This record gives sequence, C-alpha cells and structure tokens, in this order.
Amino acid sequence: MTRYKKQDPEITRRKFINAALGAGAAVGTVSLVTTLGAAKPAFRLTPDKAPPQPGDILVHADASKEGQPIKMSELSEQGVSAWPMGKDKDGNNVIRKAEPNNQLAVFRFEKDRFKAPEEGGHAHVVLELDGITDQGVVVYSSICTHAGCPVPNDPNDATKLFCGCHSGQYDLLQGCKVIGGPPPRSMPQVPVEMKGDQLVLKDTFVTAPFGFLNEADWETYLEQVKEILG
Amino acid sequence: MNQWLDDRLHISRLNDKFLRKAFPVHHSFFLGEITLFSLIVLILTGILLALSYEPSNSLVVNSFDPGTKANPNLVPAAYHSALKINAMPFGDMLRRIHHWMANIMVAAAVIHMMRIYFTGAFKKPREINWWIGMLLLIFASLTAVTGYILPYDNYAYNTVKVIYAITKSVPWIGDWAAQAAFAGRFPGDGIIPRIYGYHIMLLPGILLALTGAHMLIMIKQKHTQPQYAKRLAYKKIVGVPLMTQQTPIMLLLVLLFTGLVVLFSAFIPVHSVEYYGPPSTQAISSIKPDWYLLWVFGALAIIPGFEWEVLGGVISAEFVGAMIFPGIIMAAMFAVPMLDRSKENMYYAENPTNHPVRLAAGVAFLVMMIVLSVAGYKIELIQGGLLTTANANAILWILTIGLPIVSYFAVLGIVRMIRALREADERDALAHAHADD
Ligand code: HEM
Ligand code: FES
Repeated sequence: MTRYKKQDPEITRRKFINAALGAGAAVGTVSLVTTLGAAKPAFRLTPDKAPPQPGDILVHADASKEGQPIKMSELSEQGVSAWPMGKDKDGNNVIRKAEPNNQLAVFRFEKDRFKAPEEGGHAHVVLELDGITDQGVVVYSSICTHAGCPVPNDPNDATKLFCGCHSGQYDLLQGCKVIGGPPPRSMPQVPVEMKGDQLVLKDTFVTAPFGFLNEADWETYLEQVKEILG
Repeated sequence: MNQWLDDRLHISRLNDKFLRKAFPVHHSFFLGEITLFSLIVLILTGILLALSYEPSNSLVVNSFDPGTKANPNLVPAAYHSALKINAMPFGDMLRRIHHWMANIMVAAAVIHMMRIYFTGAFKKPREINWWIGMLLLIFASLTAVTGYILPYDNYAYNTVKVIYAITKSVPWIGDWAAQAAFAGRFPGDGIIPRIYGYHIMLLPGILLALTGAHMLIMIKQKHTQPQYAKRLAYKKIVGVPLMTQQTPIMLLLVLLFTGLVVLFSAFIPVHSVEYYGPPSTQAISSIKPDWYLLWVFGALAIIPGFEWEVLGGVISAEFVGAMIFPGIIMAAMFAVPMLDRSKENMYYAENPTNHPVRLAAGVAFLVMMIVLSVAGYKIELIQGGLLTTANANAILWILTIGLPIVSYFAVLGIVRMIRALREADERDALAHAHADD
C-alpha cells in the first residue's frame, strides 16, 4: 500500500509521449522544409539577363567576333549566331548573354520565298512579315523549344533547321514552324529592321521561347521584366 | 594484441557474427562485390579529385590561353580546374579512373540485378534488398549524371540545360523545383557549387547509407544458395567464411579488377574537356547521355511533341518522356518481388529455365530497353540513311513494342522445347534402365 493514492491521469503516459513526439516531428519537418525553401535563390534580373528588347542591336555571338555588330554582308542562308545588345541604366552597352536563351540566329533569304505558315502541326506559329527586312533578313531564337539545344541549319537543306539533340526540325521560311521531331512549339521570331548599317530589333520574341511553359508563362515573365527594368 | 583488443571491444563477437559469414562459391555472386569495390574506388579517386577541383562557375582567366589584356579569355573556374587537373601529373589518369569506374559501377549493378532477377533471388524474404538495390541503381545514376556536369565544359553545360528543362517540365511545381534544385533560373550563379554539393556530399552519403543497409540485410538473411548447396547439405548454409577464406578471394578480385580498370584507363581516354571547350553558343552536333540513360533519351526522341493544359499545369512530351515513362519502368521494376506470392522463404537460387515466364518477361524487358537505346541514335539512323524522318518514329515504335513481344514468345518457345527434349531424354533413359533389368 502506498501512501499516495495514484490518481488516474487525464491522459496516459503513452498518449502524452506520442503526442509530444508527433508535435516535435511536425515542427521539425516544417522548419526543415522552410530551410529547404532557401535552396531557391531570389530572382534578380539584370539588364544582361533581360530578354531581347525593342531597339537592341544584333551583335555577333561567336567568341572570335563577340560584340561586333552584324553586317548585312555577313549574312546568308546559314545562320549567324547573335546576341541582342542593349543599354543599361547608365547608357552603357550590355550584351544580353547572361541569359543563354537569348541566343539568336540571323538568316537571309530572298524575301519572296517566305510564306505564311501552313495550317497543321501543333501550337500557333507567328511569322511577322514586316519583321523581316526588305533584304530578307529574318531573326529567330537559336534555342530549340524542346530541350534547349542550340540548333544549326539542316546540313541537307539550308531552309530548315535540324536539332542535333533529338532531331527536331523547323522550317525557316514558314516562321520556324516545327516540321519534325519532338519540339512542342515553333522557334519564336524576333522582328528586325535595318537602321543605318545595323540590324535593330523591333520587338522581343513574338511567341514563348524555350524555358517557358506556354504563352501565359512567357507573358507573365515579360510583365515581371517590365516592372523590374522600368 | 588480439586479446588486448578483445578485452576492450569484444572483437570475437564481431568475428562470430559477421566475419564468419558464409559466402557461396559461384562466379555470379561476385557481381555485387564488383559494384561495391567500384564504389570504394570512386570514393577514393573522388576525394583526390576534390582536392584539386574548384567548384565554381565564376569566370576566371584561362591560364593556359589567357588571351589579351583588353580581351581576356574567361572560362568558368570549374572548367579551368578540370584543365589543371588534366595537366597535373597523374591528374588525367585520376579523371579517367573515376569516370570509367562510374560506368563500371552502374554496369556491374545492372548485371548483378539480372542475376538476382533470373535466379529468383528477389523472392521472400529478400524483397527489401531488391528495393534497396533499385534505389542504389537510381542514386548511382544520379551521382554519375551530377559528376558529368562538374567539369562544366560545353557538353556538361548543354546536358545540365536539358536536365533543367526536364525538371521544369513537371506540371505545377516544375518551375519552382528546377530553380530550387539548380540554384536559380538556368544557368544560376550558384549552379556548380550546388551540383558539387550533390555529387560529393549528398549523393555519396545516400549511396553509402543504402549500401550499408544492403550489406547488413544480406548478412542477416544470408545469400540465396546455389543449387549445388542443396545436394551437398539440404537447408544448411554452404560456403566459405568471410574471414579468412573469402577475404583473399575478394582481395584478389579487387586487385585484379582495379588493375584492369587502371590499365584500360591508361589507354582509353574519357570525355575530353579540351575537345568540347568551355560553355559557349556552339551547337553540339550529337549530345547523348551515358549508356544507362540512353533508353530515356530514346523514348524522348520518339515521342512526338505535344502540350496539354490540365488545371493550369502543362503536361508536355518532355514530362511524359523523361518522367512518367521512366517512372512506369521503375515502378514495374520495384514491383518485381510482388509478382511472387509464395509464403515460403526462398533458399536456393532457381534455374532460370524452370521459370520460363519470368525468364521470357525479363528478356523481353531487356530487349525493349535495348531497342529504346537504339532509338536514342535516331538522328544517326536518319543521317545514315537507314530510316527517314517520315518513317523513323513509326518504325521505332513498332520495334519498341514488337521486338519484346516476339522475344517473349521466342524465349518461351525455346525453353519449352529444351525442356520437352530433356524430359524425353529422361524418359528414354528410364525406359532403357528398365529394359536393362
Ligand atoms: C559514388 C559514385 C560516384 C559516381 C558514379 C561518380 C561519377 C562521376 C563522373 C561520371 C564524373 C565526371 C568525370 C569526368 O568526366 O571528368 C565525376 C566527376 C567528379 N567527381 Fe565523382 N562520382 C562518384 C563519387 C564521387 C565522390 C565520393 C567524390 C568526392 C568525394 C567525387 C568527386 C568528383 C569530382 C571532384 C569530380 C570532378 C572532377 C573532374 O571532372 O575534373 N565523386 N564523378
Ligand atoms: S532539344 Fe532540339 S529536339 Fe530536343
């Protein structure tokens, strides 16, 4: 017989320990998850990462000539790799190459060979004919909309692009519409015009480039960019 | 000395418990060991590489080709350090051994797995180790893929771009997940430190933990016994003890094996970072993953492009090809032990021909993997004129589905035929035996 009569506790020891463990585990998990959140750094947009902007000048992307404006005489059916070059707040030139998806390719065909993209195939294709200069210079993204490989001309047919990664094919004369392989969308065009002897962009990508899920995702990003860069 | 240690650490109990573990004597049981040895060599060579590797994608002047003052030749520090490792005495060799070992580790694991599957060793009670083995295979591939990215040459750069895109293609959470996994929008400033952390801390840690569990469970449950053990001593564990009989065999194996790998590392170069150069805008004509991921690559190549919007998320061909489809394959492999519903514990490795359906299904599965891997060479097949752009997908799809079916029935047929012949022989022998009486 003990001197103290044991009172029935309101909850059993087992219950208490289980509840305490559960609460501990929950708090622990939540705090761990929040620290994991820090794995994603904040988004900082600098002018060299901004997408092509109207008024940007096209400059060479090849290491040997990087930063030199592209001249008409250098253009042919074989794509010339280019970066858009804009200005930062202080008016200094910035090549927008910190965003690899800004890589562009410049081609030249006779202007009357371009035609409105035929119906059929997936996703909508936009070809702005007045974004092609009178000399037939057209600018597209150079980055495959499928998995982001840079795409060269098709070795068998210069009017096409052939992606070496998973054999995506695009028709340069039809707004870079997908004509084969897995790419989900056409290569977006970037309208250009000739100003003096420089190629100047009139707009950014006309449809969503690689790296964006769909048009809505791209539009949201453009708005974000506008907000940050002013 | 032994006594001194034993008084303090009770070594003899360890000896009884683990060091006397019986190892069955059969060459197919060395495959798992080879996988283990490769892991150890990878860790050793990895540590040596990590001493000289610089995990950063900040740009530095390339000291081998500095360019001019006005126009310096800037390359990522990681790439630069890979060049420096190559220039170090024995440095290139280290990279080669590490690289080849990574391939061999995955290969040995795959063949080891085939042994387990075809002899039915995954059955009760060894299901858990099959699942752990699956995880090992998956994490070993992830480790190898992250390792590939570390030299940060143009090839690595384009590979990680593809992996980023695949992560981003997960509906709803992909964008966030990709930025979290790769330290920001591609190519984030911290991408190489991040991958380095995965490759040398997180993933090897996981691999070691899983390997430890795999070994402990194996020791606890004992190996399945080869058939000869049944004849020698039914339901008794037959084999040679780890200490001391198995140990020299293992040592010989590890020395011979590492020696061989070092030998061919000396002659066969690996992925040359100099050839691909630093990340650039240059297209790489044919980018391929390592052989054990070619099947995913092949699936991606033959799935036509599409995008469906579902509840605000986008289900793309990318996601289906690189996540859903391999997910299904992995799930099927995980489910293998569930196919066997026997309650009995399994003691003896089974003769594959006594289980023709399992054998045939396994062969069909391997055939499908091989066809898909060949589909990874679609571009080469088209350029080589074997297929055309128009018919490539259709033909490859037919082969992907058709060849496994054909091989399934072929294996079944062959096995049945062999068994029928064997039984007829036995009957014959019996009949003659009677006639002799
Ligand atoms: C366990 C499985 C492992 C696998 C499958 C693996 C695989 C790889 C592969 C394929 C590469 C690319 C090699 C090249 O092309 O140069 C690599 C690079 C590297 N690994 Fe590992 N590795 C493993 C473990 C480790 C460990 C444990 C460490 C360090 C403690 C490590 C450190 C490194 C380093 C520093 C590099 C970059 C070296 C360079 O390429 O210049 N690895 N790894
Ligand atoms: S990246 Fe171009 S087809 Fe896949």
